[in-house]
Amino acid sequence: MASITISGIEKSFGDARVLERIDLDVAHGEFLTLVGPSGCGKSTLLRIIAGLEGASAGQVHIGDRRVDGVRAADRNLAMVFQSYALYPHLTVAENMLTPLKLRDLSARERLPFIGPLLSRAKRRALAAQVQDVAEVLKIEALLGRKPGQLSGGQRQRAALGRAMVRKPAAFLMDEPLSNLDAALRVHMRAELAELHRHLGATFIYVTHDQAEALTMSDRMAVMMDGRILQIDAPQTVYDDPAELAVAEFVGSPKINVLPGEIDGAGRAFCLGAPLSRFIAAPPGPVAVGLRPEHLALVDASDPDGIDGQVVHAEHLGSDVYLHAAIAAGEHRVVARALPAEAAALGVGAPVRIGRRRGEAMVFAPSGARLRFVQAPAPARTDESRVA
Amino acid sequence: MPRSTAHLWFIAPALTLMVLILLLPIGIAGWLSFTDYSLGGSGYDYVGWKNYERIFTRSTYEKMFGATFRYVGVVVPLSMALGLGAALLISSLKRWGDLYKTIYFLPVMAALLAMAIVWEFALHPTIGIVNRTLEMGCGTALERLEFWRAGCERTFPLWLTDRDTAIWTVAFIGVWQGFGFNMVLYLAGLTSIPRELYHAAEMDGAKSGWERFRLVTWPMLGPTTVFVVTISIIRSFQVFDTVEAFYPQGGGPSKSVYVMMFAIYEKAIQQNLMGIGAAITVVFLGFVMVLTLVQRRLVEKRVHYS
Repeated sequence: MASITISGIEKSFGDARVLERIDLDVAHGEFLTLVGPSGCGKSTLLRIIAGLEGASAGQVHIGDRRVDGVRAADRNLAMVFQSYALYPHLTVAENMLTPLKLRDLSARERLPFIGPLLSRAKRRALAAQVQDVAEVLKIEALLGRKPGQLSGGQRQRAALGRAMVRKPAAFLMDEPLSNLDAALRVHMRAELAELHRHLGATFIYVTHDQAEALTMSDRMAVMMDGRILQIDAPQTVYDDPAELAVAEFVGSPKINVLPGEIDGAGRAFCLGAPLSRFIAAPPGPVAVGLRPEHLALVDASDPDGIDGQVVHAEHLGSDVYLHAAIAAGEHRVVARALPAEAAALGVGAPVRIGRRRGEAMVFAPSGARLRFVQAPAPARTDESRVA
Repeated sequence: MPRSTAHLWFIAPALTLMVLILLLPIGIAGWLSFTDYSLGGSGYDYVGWKNYERIFTRSTYEKMFGATFRYVGVVVPLSMALGLGAALLISSLKRWGDLYKTIYFLPVMAALLAMAIVWEFALHPTIGIVNRTLEMGCGTALERLEFWRAGCERTFPLWLTDRDTAIWTVAFIGVWQGFGFNMVLYLAGLTSIPRELYHAAEMDGAKSGWERFRLVTWPMLGPTTVFVVTISIIRSFQVFDTVEAFYPQGGGPSKSVYVMMFAIYEKAIQQNLMGIGAAITVVFLGFVMVLTLVQRRLVEKRVHYS
């Protein structure tokens, strides 16, 4: 078990820059997720940590040891691949035994025929280790089977077993759940998080699925275009995104982004309606982000609401997400509603949508977050009441 | 429900052709092998197992089996190993891979009959380039080697015309001609190995190329190897054109290169002894059949993973 420190990692393929000065600290025993859209460099970063790929610049430390130039086999890390990469000609037990054999047996003890005679006791100990891990993962019954005879979920477990069996310094996981069906993925999410707690090991987990990042990790690093935009606890990333891109990437359904502006006094307006708090920023256009749960259906008489028309309704059982066209069809927003409220609303029905107070997030045109200042509102009580 | 006969119409063309051009000739050959039939002869007699008895007792046929098995025994493993080696080397190249592929594949594409003439010149005992080159070693340090001393004192090997070296020389040419084909098959097999398996092997601690080869490459090439072995065995059992080109008169120095295909040709076509020719053919078919079945049983179970 160890911490992992990455400083100033850069990577280019020819002229294409894939990673731009990445700094990252992963604490001992932490579950860190690298999340981002495909092509953002997250897998490349993981492979650089693993040692399967060299960085163009920068350093990687595992514990106190600098590992640039140390080959992957000597870094004592374990990796779970998207395709699982199990050896198809070996049984699950043999697959799990392979890393143990390659590390713990000498070249002489690995010779065919003579090797097993020379290292009987050692081999028995290794087989016992495999058995222990199989018990933790509940795959004892599968040990004699080959990967071709396993289902996706079972292969996933076997791959995990192969990674766990030699107690590595850290686990690297490259989208390990993306080949599973939806129900199994949700189930494995919980199991992986539980496994992490059980092992107390350092996990670095790469995914493009923000739901996996939100549900499993201690901290998540949102990556885009080769940069880490934000590293924080999942709830912080969701509630307090540092950039518009992060806000848009994290959360499902996506955050609503509406045009707004800041006036000379620092007051932000969204679609012409003022927000209650002030921003220390020069006047100009901004983007206002509102999560679906920050919007609600309000009475037709509510003065702060915006009129719209339902264009689509997503029924999820516990919630209904209403897609509504507002501002004469120029913008679309998604609002969360209770099933009871939305039952009567068909496509085309007129709705009035209101904002919850104090939830809006304001972003500069560059995408950077503009923070509210807690300055008291000027004594224009008629307006401060709004939103 | 009325039984439809439509399916018969679908399989009929293939079935007819298979019976007419495959099963029927084999059946006829099988029948002829029990007779003393000769082409153009007015009649023939049933001779029972006499033809087979001859094949398994006479020394000519002993030589035939000896030559055939020597050839197969050399060409199959060597052309496999060289094909795999060349494929591994080429696939590890970043540039010039295509050039090497072309060079190694050229002998496969070249007409073997023409190549045989070139080899005959090259291996000529006195004026051939091979022995001329070896002679240049005379008088140098190389003469300390037993092979050179004997060669310089008397003569270097006669290669194709010495009964001790003839079959090995022909086998060498067979390897030279055949391994490019195996190389292409192995190259195709190598491209289908997922890269992630090598990464997994690296993460698992396989540091040397040999460990990676044993853990990933060789097992993953299993299906390719089955195919390569089958094809190589059948092709080397069928060797004929080099032998015919080098030794049109009866199978080389003291029949040391008298391979089966050539024996069939000589008996059945040149000497018009259809009966014995057919018997050798049946034995030949039997060999190929048995080898293919054994090899399938043994290997295929262990190489198909899904």
